[in-house]
Amino acid sequence: MAKEPTNRVELLQGTLDMLVLRTLLFGPAHGHQIAKHIQRTTDEVLQVEHGSLYPALHRLERKGWIAAKWESAGKDLKREFKYYRLTPAGRKQLLAEESKWKRMTGAIARIMWPAEGE
Amino acid sequence: MFWRRRNEREEDLERELLSHLELAADEQRENGLSAEEAGYAARRILGNTTRVKEDVREMWGWTRLGIILQDLRHAARTLRKSPGFAVTAFFTLAIGIGASTAIFTMVDSVILKPLAYRDSGSLVVIWEHVRPLFPNLVGPNPRHADLWKKQASAFSDMALVQHSSSGLTVGTDHPVQMGTVICSSNFFGVLQAVPLLGRTFLPEDDVKGHDNVAILTWALWQSLFHGDPAVIGKFVRLRDTPREVIGVLPADFRFPNANALRPSRSKQPLSGVPEPAIYIPAALDPNRFGWNGDYGNWVAVARLKPGVGIEQAEVQINTIQAQIERDMPAGEKFDQPSSLHASVQPMQEAVVGDSGSRLWLLMAAVLGLMFIASMNLANTQLGRALSRQRESAVCSALGAAKWRLVWNGLAENLLLAVLGGAAGVAVAAVGLSLFRRYSPVDLPRLSEVHLNFTVLLFSMALTIGSSLLFGILPALRLMRADPQASLQQSSSRMPGTRQSGRLRTWLIGLQVFGCTGLLLVTGLFSKSLLHLLNQDKGFETGNVAVAEVRFGNAYASDQSRTAFIDAVLQNVRGVPGVQSAGLVSSMPLEGETWIEDIQRVDKRAPESLINLRWVSPGYFDTMRERLVAGRLFEERDRSLQSAVLSEGLARALWQNENPIGAQITTEGRKFSVIGVVADSRSTSLKTAPVRMAYLHYVDRPPNTIVFTARGTQSAASIVSGMRQAIWKYAPDIAISRVKTLNSQLSDSLAPERFQTMVLMAFGGAALLLAMLGIYGVLSYSTATRKQEIGVRIALGATRRAIYTLTLGDAAIPVLAGLATGLVASILPSRAIQRLLYGTQAVDPSVTLVVIALFLAAAIAAALLPARRAASVDPMEALRCE
Repeated sequence: MAKEPTNRVELLQGTLDMLVLRTLLFGPAHGHQIAKHIQRTTDEVLQVEHGSLYPALHRLERKGWIAAKWESAGKDLKREFKYYRLTPAGRKQLLAEESKWKRMTGAIARIMWPAEGE
Repeated sequence: MFWRRRNEREEDLERELLSHLELAADEQRENGLSAEEAGYAARRILGNTTRVKEDVREMWGWTRLGIILQDLRHAARTLRKSPGFAVTAFFTLAIGIGASTAIFTMVDSVILKPLAYRDSGSLVVIWEHVRPLFPNLVGPNPRHADLWKKQASAFSDMALVQHSSSGLTVGTDHPVQMGTVICSSNFFGVLQAVPLLGRTFLPEDDVKGHDNVAILTWALWQSLFHGDPAVIGKFVRLRDTPREVIGVLPADFRFPNANALRPSRSKQPLSGVPEPAIYIPAALDPNRFGWNGDYGNWVAVARLKPGVGIEQAEVQINTIQAQIERDMPAGEKFDQPSSLHASVQPMQEAVVGDSGSRLWLLMAAVLGLMFIASMNLANTQLGRALSRQRESAVCSALGAAKWRLVWNGLAENLLLAVLGGAAGVAVAAVGLSLFRRYSPVDLPRLSEVHLNFTVLLFSMALTIGSSLLFGILPALRLMRADPQASLQQSSSRMPGTRQSGRLRTWLIGLQVFGCTGLLLVTGLFSKSLLHLLNQDKGFETGNVAVAEVRFGNAYASDQSRTAFIDAVLQNVRGVPGVQSAGLVSSMPLEGETWIEDIQRVDKRAPESLINLRWVSPGYFDTMRERLVAGRLFEERDRSLQSAVLSEGLARALWQNENPIGAQITTEGRKFSVIGVVADSRSTSLKTAPVRMAYLHYVDRPPNTIVFTARGTQSAASIVSGMRQAIWKYAPDIAISRVKTLNSQLSDSLAPERFQTMVLMAFGGAALLLAMLGIYGVLSYSTATRKQEIGVRIALGATRRAIYTLTLGDAAIPVLAGLATGLVASILPSRAIQRLLYGTQAVDPSVTLVVIALFLAAAIAAALLPARRAASVDPMEALRCE
């Protein structure tokens, strides 16, 4: 491969859904934008394999957390993209995942750095 | 709808991924890459699009079904690529399912004849057991049955029926002999049969004087009235009595004929027993009968009350029987007490009877055939699985899901099962319809034989089940197998391990074993039938036609019958093409009848039973029975009390003395012996010749006469002439039967012929399956050993050596199976022996024929793959890896 990912971190399993949902909180986006956004905001630390994004998107759509619609965009609106946006159910799910994540990182932190946690 | 949604989704995904790629490529171009490189880079970032699509599809959730369909398509493609396997499995399924279903269906509906009455399980027949008079069960005395009906509480109803046959006339036609059932008016109520048209009998029809009504079967209605619904109220003449048609029975109504509903099957069944076609009320007055007699004419059919068992009913009947025996008037009483009993039998059992051993044989044949088919499938499947081993290993090394590998193998099997099963149904249907059209045996109800779905399902379940089993077992083993190990161990040069090769060899052997048994039994029965047909009968059937007449009330006097016979015999002799003619009092080949005691006048001996026949001059010439001593009947014997004896009888009575001119007594009258004829098997081909005595017909003109005529050419050409000769004298007489003696002969052997034919069908199917099996295994092994063979040829092996090599592969299991099959077939020989005539159950000539036939078939099956092996081009074989 061309670029060797030296300081990149593999996504923890199950977190991709949460990241996608969180990204869509800013507004509707298509697959490429979502991938780019995750990469850019984490300073390219989190590596999202673009390919794995689509199964996730379709899964979320199937669960009813996000909805998709083809819309024109680009420089002269001549291209159509499939835009995903958060549904109310998705919002709720995001909150649930967030709190779960917080509890988990908290718990992990307490084990890893006991003194600081006290 | 499903497909449209799927296609839309598929397009949608394609478009989405494409747009992603475009964006990514745009981005790369902005980074300064060329258009082409940007495209590649975008693809790299996205990853394997096919994989992405598959993952997404999996998210959609219906992908299992998609995969299944995909695998089915894949299976169809791979099957097309390996025709050897596909063809073997397909034909095995088709023949296995088709043949066994067709044969079993036929036998089931012809021999087993299931009763199609409502709640037929509660129908019973009741027989009497009158020990001092009859060794076996007999039909009941109507007076006894009347008491059973009145007193026994176990039955909801009981009817009496009698089989008969009478001339039926419609309009001014000549009468036609029809199977008639004389029954009490509640008969249809007991069977719970509902008429298609009109009504069934009412109690008032059962009163003498009001009983001139009749109910037609559907078949008779069709043939005589062409299904005209206005038949109700029309009149037909039955034995000179006009009867009003009051009802027509539905097409599926059927009552067993006199042969099928008998208390004892030890006697030879009568041939030419008509199927019931017309039902008339009995108008029976039980008081007309005595208390001890009239046994054997009637059949009591009854319906058990719900919840009442056979034993309970039998106890009740026997209580009544004991009472009857006590109450019998002095003149009729038995000498010994406890002489009168009765037996209640499920009607189903009475109708099917103890065709047990035949049935057993048949079941064994069906199972044998299924067994061979299963072996075939197992074998082809095993070979298939082995050749897939490497492919599967590669797939699982590349990360294929295990369940998909298993499913892959299964999909192939399912596809084969569906195709083979459908072909099997088609084979069964076509086979049955061919059999219906070209049946060599005239069987009743043949036109109504329909596919038996229970049997079809059973045979399909068995063959397809075994195919799946043997398909899935190796596949499951693959699931556990370490792909790396199996990849290293099995190079494509040696796909069959020694162990699996041995297993397949064993399977071939087993198959040959089963097939040998079937062929051997078939051979024995064929030989037995040939023996029956070709043995010395003592008479010649060629060119002889027979016509049977039963006299009705119009010919009650001896004079009228003699006049009839004299005139008709004259007419028959005048028929163009008739060489000689005569008559006899019983249809030949219908068993022993008119059994009488015979004695020398000068010397009493212990009882000597004979078959008595009244014949005319010309009878022995017509039948070509050989005169041994003295002379045959001549015109002058009309006024002489003459008798002709069979050789066996003459020897029994006079040993080596000359019986000619001696006196005998039978039926209380004296006769002088004028001649001795050679023994003949005119009563039955299946027994040794019985002792016969022949009298001139004027002595006591028989009630049933059979005119016999020998034609100069074929018997068929004089059949209609004989009919006209009879009707010329008496246009109103019913001719029961007119046929050639040859067809009478083959009718008398109908059960044997049917049985042999069924077995031959089985044997043929089994042989075909075994050939398929051998072909399948050999062609598989030569295909996989192509390289080895190529090496051998390259190293100088001759074609001959290659033939020996491949044929040798098959020879060991075939010979072993053949040998064990021959040895094992000795075991059931005792059971089979009872069904054979003039043939030993272990018969060297049959064994030799079977061996020869089998070897020829095996060689034929092996030759094609062996030729293919011998014609392997070594260069090509070595190059293609």
